[in-house]
Amino acid sequence: MLLERESLLGSLHDHLTAASQGSGSLLLVAGEAGAGKTSLVRGFVESLSASTLVIQGACDPLTTPRPLSPLYDFAADPNSGLDGLVHKDKPAIEMFSEVLDRLRNTVRPIVMVIEDLHWADEGTLDFLKFIGRRIAESRGVLVCTYRDDEVGTDHSLRPVLGQLILLQSTHRLVVPALSLAAITHLAQDRPFDPADLLSLTDGNAFFVTEILASEESLPASVQEAVVARVSRLDEPSRRVVEAVSVAPRSLEIGDAATLAGASLDDVDTALAAGVLIGDGRDLRFRHELARSAVEEALPPARRFGLHMSMLQLLEEERSLDYARLAHHAIKAGEAELVIGYAPRAGREAAGSGSHMEAAAFFEAALQHADLVAEDEAARLRVELANELGIVDRRTDALHQIDLAVDFYRRSQDEEALASTLVPPLNARWRLEDAKRFRDGLQEALTILEAKDPSKDLARAYLVSAYQHMLARRGVDASRDVAKARDTADSVGDTGLAWMIQMLEGTISVVVGDNQSGVRVLSDTVERARLAGNIDDEILGLMMLGSGGGEVRRYDVAIPALEKAVDHGLAADQDYLVAYTRSWLARIAFELARWDDAVDYASLVDRATAYRKGIAILTGLSTLGRVRTRRGDPGASALLDEMVALSHSHELQHGWNAICGRAELYWLRGEAEKGLDLLRPAYEEALNTDSQWARGEIGFWMWRVGAIDGPPEGAAEPFALQMAGDWSAAAQAWRDIGCPYEEAMALADGPEVAKLEALDTLDRLDARPMADRVRHQLRDLGVESIPRGPTKETLSNPAGLTSRQLEVLRLIAGGSNNEQISDELYISKKTVEHHVSAIYSKLGVSSRLEAMRTAAEVGVFEK
Amino acid sequence: MPRYMVEREFPQGLEIPTNPEGQKAMLGVVDNNATEQVTWVQSFVTDDHAKTFCVYDGPSPEAIRRAAGLSDLPVNKISEVSVLDPYFYVGATG
Repeated sequence: MLLERESLLGSLHDHLTAASQGSGSLLLVAGEAGAGKTSLVRGFVESLSASTLVIQGACDPLTTPRPLSPLYDFAADPNSGLDGLVHKDKPAIEMFSEVLDRLRNTVRPIVMVIEDLHWADEGTLDFLKFIGRRIAESRGVLVCTYRDDEVGTDHSLRPVLGQLILLQSTHRLVVPALSLAAITHLAQDRPFDPADLLSLTDGNAFFVTEILASEESLPASVQEAVVARVSRLDEPSRRVVEAVSVAPRSLEIGDAATLAGASLDDVDTALAAGVLIGDGRDLRFRHELARSAVEEALPPARRFGLHMSMLQLLEEERSLDYARLAHHAIKAGEAELVIGYAPRAGREAAGSGSHMEAAAFFEAALQHADLVAEDEAARLRVELANELGIVDRRTDALHQIDLAVDFYRRSQDEEALASTLVPPLNARWRLEDAKRFRDGLQEALTILEAKDPSKDLARAYLVSAYQHMLARRGVDASRDVAKARDTADSVGDTGLAWMIQMLEGTISVVVGDNQSGVRVLSDTVERARLAGNIDDEILGLMMLGSGGGEVRRYDVAIPALEKAVDHGLAADQDYLVAYTRSWLARIAFELARWDDAVDYASLVDRATAYRKGIAILTGLSTLGRVRTRRGDPGASALLDEMVALSHSHELQHGWNAICGRAELYWLRGEAEKGLDLLRPAYEEALNTDSQWARGEIGFWMWRVGAIDGPPEGAAEPFALQMAGDWSAAAQAWRDIGCPYEEAMALADGPEVAKLEALDTLDRLDARPMADRVRHQLRDLGVESIPRGPTKETLSNPAGLTSRQLEVLRLIAGGSNNEQISDELYISKKTVEHHVSAIYSKLGVSSRLEAMRTAAEVGVFEK
Repeated sequence: MPRYMVEREFPQGLEIPTNPEGQKAMLGVVDNNATEQVTWVQSFVTDDHAKTFCVYDGPSPEAIRRAAGLSDLPVNKISEVSVLDPYFYVGATG
């Protein structure tokens, strides 16, 4: 019987009913260990009729979890219809799609269970995100249990739950502690005081039942209660219990008897005592708390021995579950076996996208590096470094690379040395650590150039070109990419061709002729699309979007970024989506569409993006700049934080924050304070071939009075204004579509230009700059200065606000939402809100009706 | 949640009739605020009804602006503020 769980059960059934009608959901069952999550889910599953299919899986408490363990469980269930689900060489995304299809293409509803999410590997978390975001349109209910008290701020489950809980189709069910009434009911035939029981157990269901099963006085902890209960068993059946305790999930009955050296009768005795439960085939503990209590209470020698026996058992069965083999090898303290199994488990984990687990396996193997041949250890270190780099443990990764490099130097293995020093192209983390890798790359080039042209040499040139491109050194980048092309051609390596062309296009966009660069990049994107290579296509779109944005080619940047967001969302590439949106925010900011900029920036999820920095840097710098230009609070704290972050990144990612901070100082009349930030950035900009870095950083240097005119090679609109031609600058900004910059240029002109600037600034709600211009006009003795934006009061015909009236007039003029958003400088979301408010106030449901009713009530007469 | 002082200017003067229509307008503001998780704590209005000082709780200045946009209220200046209580200092020195 499940006490005090009726409402939770009811809720589970309600969601199942909804799923059977085609709207599925993700249910997160939370509670501390022993709260009764599993009992609740079992109770639910047992109450289901045969018309519901149940598929169950779990995450295991292994030293390092097996990647995608629940998916293996689904595949192993003969009734699941997912028997071919997992395969070593199958991309994870394909497996996820198969499960989704299973949930969608079914007549009867499916309840899918994943227990103990707090032990999930990264791949399983990816699965959860994938299914969670798409389950709404399916006949599935995915029920997941997890210990909420063990999911702290650093836990990898935390950000995933944070995102999923925002979805309409996700619901969190908390299993509460038992109340005094429930405990009183349970303890009615026992000599315990229910109040004592409550205060000792805090209402933890497992603890309460464990104590009620004990015969003596109150134990001090749940562990003590479990161990006391086991110690009352006779010797052989206790050995059975101990054997089962080293199996992380369950143990086959025959195996348990073998391991324990006991008979099947002894197994029965153990079962009868209620410590273990069985399903006719496997034995397991009633609860993981009990299992770990028994395992931890084992004398070390006995524990090692049992793990060793488990290992032998698995080896006899020719198990390929390397994660489990490695787990027992580690627990048995068998170094040789750890070295044998952990690297294989690591490679398997890396292949399924579980990079944290992969790193943990390689680290476990390298714990015993002294037992491995040095060249083998070096190879493992390079593998470990790649995994550590992906999970952003860069310092640790670099340390491993250093150790490997050190060995290759000592052993004079030049080939391996060069290959280790040239990072693989997908190891962006190594490329971004530019300063440190330049030397290593140089050493590799020296070695490789002395030999015949090779694929490694082509790759080294390409990596070098990539690095120069990131630092916006156009001449160096172009030289190296040309060398990469020649070398690849001469050794007949076609594998790098796409990357070479992509890089050539990107270099042209950011530091060369952006017209031809855009053509080349668009072509590479198209080629990747035709080849069905989604990762390449996304990379090309990102380069077109961020590079195009940087040189203010919004016409190509915006569609590329929007497409990249679509692809990224479809493939659950959260980091990519965050970075792309941060660029859409930056562009919206430059177009003076503040609301859109804020909307995009707020979608740059801090939890997702913190690892890579540049999404946060771009997004939040933009938010700080919007606040600066609107005169809102919170700008300086945000920009200070971003300026600090910019120091660990390339100039291309940092100059937005630096210029924003300088602009804020300038608007507050403390321009000179910006100089300390601007000077080093300006020096750096002059070492690049980036016109826009020279232009914008130079512009603020000029505003502050640190330089008299434009630096050579500054982007045209900035250069014109610095040269004193405010009128041509204003025209150039108008052509590009940047009204705020246009107004800044006009503000440098005479009275009539200043009044035009003021009109724009008022319309944009850019108060600090508008105040500045008003001040200048007053100083010039201008008498009729417009008061600034005014809004009418709250009542209008049909109760519409004046903004809604404006929107309605535009609707009547045939404008769509996008045109209205352009016309009124408000975001599309806000337009949609106004339109729906208009509909509801007028009691209509279409644009046509709205126009007719509006005419009837006379909204146009005013 | 941070607290903000929002200054709004009404050059023609702010007039809210004390009738069902005025009531509806006020409740509309409250509803719009709720969509942005913004709470209108209280306001002070100048004698000529040309300017208001409104105390708001909200997650960010952007949320304050979005809520104002939905209700079509002007925003002239937003400042982040905290409570300064004169009585806090009474007795502090002795």
